Amino acid sequence: MAAETITYLEAIRLAMRDAMADDDRVFLIGEDVGHFGGPFGVSTGLFDRFGASRVIDTPISEEGFVGAAFGAAWMGERPIVELQFADFVTCPFDAIVTVGAKTHWRNGIALPVVIRLPSGGGVRGGPFHASSPEGWFVGVAGLKVVCPGTVDDAYGLLRAAVEDDDPVLFFEHKGLYRRLRGIAPPPSHRVPIGRAAIARSGTDATVVTYGSGVDLALRVADALADVASIEVIDLRTIWPVDADTVLASVARTSRALVLQEASRSTGAGDHVVSLIAREAFASLDAPIAVVAPPDTPVPYAPELEDAYLPSAASLRSALEALLAW
Amino acid sequence: MPGDPATAVVLPTTDDPSVSAERRIELFRVVLTHRVMEERIMTLYKQGRIAGSVYTGRGQEAVGAGAGLALGADDVCAPLNREMSCHIARGVEPAHIFRNYLGRATGPTRGRDGNMHFGVPERGVFPLVSMLGDLVPVVVGAALAFKRRGEARVALTFFGDGAFNCGDVHEGLNLAGVLNVPVVFVAQSNRVAYSTRTEMAMRNPNLSERIEGGYAIPCARVDGTDAIAVHVAVRNAVERARAGGGPQAIEALTVRLDGHAAHDDGRYMDRDLIAEYGTRRDPVERLAMRLVLDGVPRAEVDAVRAGVIAAVAGALAEAESAPAPDPADLANGVYASPLS
Ligand SMILES: Cc1ncc(C[n+]2csc(CCOP(=O)(O)OP(=O)(O)O)c2C)c(N)n1
Repeated sequence: MAAETITYLEAIRLAMRDAMADDDRVFLIGEDVGHFGGPFGVSTGLFDRFGASRVIDTPISEEGFVGAAFGAAWMGERPIVELQFADFVTCPFDAIVTVGAKTHWRNGIALPVVIRLPSGGGVRGGPFHASSPEGWFVGVAGLKVVCPGTVDDAYGLLRAAVEDDDPVLFFEHKGLYRRLRGIAPPPSHRVPIGRAAIARSGTDATVVTYGSGVDLALRVADALADVASIEVIDLRTIWPVDADTVLASVARTSRALVLQEASRSTGAGDHVVSLIAREAFASLDAPIAVVAPPDTPVPYAPELEDAYLPSAASLRSALEALLAW
Repeated sequence: MPGDPATAVVLPTTDDPSVSAERRIELFRVVLTHRVMEERIMTLYKQGRIAGSVYTGRGQEAVGAGAGLALGADDVCAPLNREMSCHIARGVEPAHIFRNYLGRATGPTRGRDGNMHFGVPERGVFPLVSMLGDLVPVVVGAALAFKRRGEARVALTFFGDGAFNCGDVHEGLNLAGVLNVPVVFVAQSNRVAYSTRTEMAMRNPNLSERIEGGYAIPCARVDGTDAIAVHVAVRNAVERARAGGGPQAIEALTVRLDGHAAHDDGRYMDRDLIAEYGTRRDPVERLAMRLVLDGVPRAEVDAVRAGVIAAVAGALAEAESAPAPDPADLANGVYASPLS
């Protein structure tokens, strides 16, 4: 009998369900997350199962309910906050980077809050519904930023995030919600925060990526298999980054390409570029390559968005250029 | 039959003598254009010819129309998703609106944004920002500029009852009062925010009471399905603001007849309210009934309808023939003063 497969979206729902079943301190809070199940249906069924005290609908007040989640965490709860779109993180930005990020360092009070942020393009969402704003948080001491790129990691990272004692920003990619399928992970499955994965082993070049880049990199690496052996590193946690795994890979392959969906100069990409340049310069046979969209907001029109987002073609030609060095 | 007083189930709009016969026909043309355009847009969406999301204002067309026609040519405004009629009232061409939905190079955002997410600078319309509440302080700032320069101009924006829970709205209201600037706020109380009924999201859902009591800004409460009532209330507010009376507000009571967006069937809505507002309080038919009661010949009302339908069809055809955007242009305009 074939094992049951679930989507990336269902893995997130399952992780919330299992975390809530295991621990009474865990609750979900956000706009329309209750009977409606959230704008993408990620929380469908949780309200029926856990009731209104565990799945809490809020007014449209991101600054309010994100701040409130930190207060509840101070009192020992473990809230999961859902934003309707990652783009709207601009509204509770202050609560996240000041209250969330600095409290433990200043006063030793742990604030275990998970903020779920549906991010990413390919859905014709335009400048306010398709962004990948995760890079704004790279470098903010006190925050942890995770970006699952597989069904397994969607489950395992969310379980780990809920159990973590720090604020964790969980960027879930809308384009992967229903596109990725995988075997349903067991309830014990955890993916450690701060650890990258070697998604594909190779010897000729390393692609460092995360989120939507993982599936793309694997497909392109497979397509190039006759020409070159490409290693794909899935960062999984983009901040703080797993330097050891990245550097060990580059030491083996001597060529590095950083791939991200966030616009060129935001995001984890340049952080990884600087890491490799500082720590692995001597092992490089070629300049570090970057594949990322240009420095503009995400455009709406299909012709524009398709050209804007990294594609198999753009990644492939960048890899060929890297290998030709 | 809609518009026939003999079989009327539709409530006519109010009959305010200060609103001329021509203005009534104009209001009818605007609300109907809004309605017909969105019907076409929903069809295009279902056919896959419009990508992304579509948000309609069905049942709320009278608010944007009544407010938009109350503004003078030099006034400015910031309409949201439900207020296509405000753009139309400001003279924005239907073809231009369609070009935004279709993501065309010659549309207001040149394909960079879609649906109602656009402004039209030459008509004094600031582009919609999705983050709810963001535009309230922005129009306060526009009004501050008018006040500083001694210009008799007014700035206006809308916000939903859901957005009334956002901090920015309250900072903007308070600031408007303290700065005493010529700004008009139009609250769209349509009873719901996405799937959340307003009474679930606030203890006191009477926005006019809260705006008056909390910020000392006068706020008239009107039936938002009655275009003439909205128009008179906003017109009076605009006049007071222009005359130096400081910020003004209107709360328009409506019901969102469709789901939040095209993907949402609105199954959580109150069916009785939808039935009442979709028939007796349909803003388009309420105006049509008014015109008939005013003695406008039946044929003339029908001619307006036919004219609007034809104009919308023509506008859509024009928009569909517009060119697609060129990705090579994407980075142009990131900066107003590019570094050379
Ligand atoms: C800050 C922010 N949070 C969430 C959203 C998602 N969202 C878009 S419209 C909407 C409901 C708005 O309700 P209301 O203000 O009453 O306007 P209506 O849709 O009823 O016209 C929500 C939650 C958003 N656009 N901005």
